[in-house]
Amino acid sequence: MAKTNLWDERDLTEEQKLFKESILDWAERNLPLDRVIKMNREGHPFPPDIIKGLADLGVIMGTVPEERGGLGLNWKDQSLIAEVIGYVDPSIATAAGFMAVSTGWGFTIDRYANDVIREKYVKPAINGDKFIGIATTEPGGGSDVSNFKCTGEKDGDEWVLNGEKTFISGVEEAKKIGGGYWVNVRTGPKEPGAPHKNMTAFFVPIDSDGLTPAEPYDDAGRNAISTGGFIMEDVRVPEEHMLGEKGKGFYYTMEGFDNARILIGASAVGVTRRILEEAADYIKERETFGNPLAKYEGIQFEFVERYIEMEASNLMVKKVAAMQDVRYDEEGWLARTNKAQTYSPKEIAKWISMIKYKVPHLAKDTADDAMHWLGAAGYSSEYIFETAWRGVMSYCVGAEGGANIQKIVIGRETLGPDYVPYK
Amino acid sequence: MKFVVCVKQVPDTTEVEVDPETGTIIREGVPSVLNAFDEFALNVAVQLKETLEEDVEITALSMGPPQAKEALTKCLAIGADSAILLTDRVFAGADTWATAVTLSRAIKKLGGADVIFCGQEASDGNTAQVGPEVAAHLGIPQLTFVSEIEKIEDKNIICKKETDEGFLRTRCPLPVVIACMPTPGFLPKIPNMREIIKGKRKPYEEWTFKDIGGKEEDYGLEGSESVVVRTYSPPPKGEGIIIDDEPEVAVQKLMDYFEKEGIL
Repeated sequence: MAKTNLWDERDLTEEQKLFKESILDWAERNLPLDRVIKMNREGHPFPPDIIKGLADLGVIMGTVPEERGGLGLNWKDQSLIAEVIGYVDPSIATAAGFMAVSTGWGFTIDRYANDVIREKYVKPAINGDKFIGIATTEPGGGSDVSNFKCTGEKDGDEWVLNGEKTFISGVEEAKKIGGGYWVNVRTGPKEPGAPHKNMTAFFVPIDSDGLTPAEPYDDAGRNAISTGGFIMEDVRVPEEHMLGEKGKGFYYTMEGFDNARILIGASAVGVTRRILEEAADYIKERETFGNPLAKYEGIQFEFVERYIEMEASNLMVKKVAAMQDVRYDEEGWLARTNKAQTYSPKEIAKWISMIKYKVPHLAKDTADDAMHWLGAAGYSSEYIFETAWRGVMSYCVGAEGGANIQKIVIGRETLGPDYVPYK
Repeated sequence: MKFVVCVKQVPDTTEVEVDPETGTIIREGVPSVLNAFDEFALNVAVQLKETLEEDVEITALSMGPPQAKEALTKCLAIGADSAILLTDRVFAGADTWATAVTLSRAIKKLGGADVIFCGQEASDGNTAQVGPEVAAHLGIPQLTFVSEIEKIEDKNIICKKETDEGFLRTRCPLPVVIACMPTPGFLPKIPNMREIIKGKRKPYEEWTFKDIGGKEEDYGLEGSESVVVRTYSPPPKGEGIIIDDEPEVAVQKLMDYFEKEGIL
């Protein structure tokens, strides 16, 4: 760990302090920075010992209710855990695979799955024995969720799924240890002016007959977790694999995005904190022209600005996590009445989009700054900065929703629906 | 069977600095942690419990300010079944004697214990006196520098006790105070999230001096037998000498140095 400590624990609960301490102690033994760098250099699949370690530690899908194998954590606790995971692995590979995907989407799968899927896939994923995730993007596009082309047709007691999904996190990991994906398909005609209707979500096991995984992508960063895709040709799944109600897949998907985006925002705060701590160690010691680098305003002021942005982002994440707790505490929302109680779903989505847009960019820009402060050393993979920079870029580019999509959501909620550029 | 583990919350010694003017430890902003020796003792107690067929209840016991609850919360996550914090302004300023009086009276109130575990010492004071003094106040045997417990059988404990020459395999009748000395490379148990949550649901109590009885003057500063006159940081030793050479040459250089300095 860095000598510089930029954590402030005073507003954490006793449990949260211990969560943090345990994860840091575990990481010191199992996932130090040099291993993070090595894992990302060697690439996927994600090391099984780390998956099992994360599961034993209890950080995966903590928000799933206790009676279904989770810990019944609230979102404030889970986002603190995500922040520490981001801090431990600033390449963001661990957070991508096991906070945003497994936890954010896994929690949402658990909410809409029946007990068969929960027993067969969700519980084993909580225990690190399987990998579950989300497959929404298609070759024709990712942001325009309501216009996807994959189809599902009922045939007796089964559904027959066809189409292609791409840019999916963790396909190689799911192939290796088993698991599957939340897949959205069109199960009814596309209604003019309401393309989001008639989308249905299914849980599709990775080893389904007719499902052919594509070659994994050679990504710029967060290489420890794979990105892949698959083609579905007459994949048959039983009725019990349908998640929630027929035709409501679009709404569930938006909820899943909200859950994943909170955790990625929280993780990116952790990434930023670690980058600043590691950079601070260097700039306080490295001397040029008779002074440590940290004494020069050119560097010190940039450092301070990033620190301010990080703590501001941290407060935003805490606010959003608190809003999410209210959302899940209020039955009215669960029934999707759309009657705003404390917060409407769209209002929460606005705040979530704000952190999804802001924090990964902050982490990426902070890593960029750190490389400039350190010079050649910062550009070298001896330090974490370039690995972090390449990793968090994935969340600036589009993982869990493109940057401009977040702006459209924020614009809709601030300027009004009349100003939404695309519908 | 009942185990009591005495623990202390201490400043994280890796971050402690001494104020050069006042000579006192700067505690502001310094994180507090569970004393590593006590954490080892708790780990030993939890492991021993797992090997025993009969039911064992482990109580973690600490004396300290209200924030010492954090250390006990960690004990509950690691495996203690209940925890008691002895916290009262009356206890403030206690030396090792008064601390041992307080702890031993609390143990008596608990109805005694078969084994009382404590760390060999605390990383802030390093006196190594509290454990033996608790044994003295309770009038029971003590084993110090214990690195391993083999078993409990026929109301006796058999353990490994480190000595300057090696170790002693010792048998002692219960009840007993065991002062534990961490073995090199020992890695304490890391409680997982589930254990932390379960720990928070376990019984936790705070006791004041009224709960354990006695007179106010038995405790804290007033009940202390020793007085701290001054705390100071020893002056730096200066730079050392490193002889980096082949063994034979290095030994010769060392001998030459000893001779030159009049050491030999």
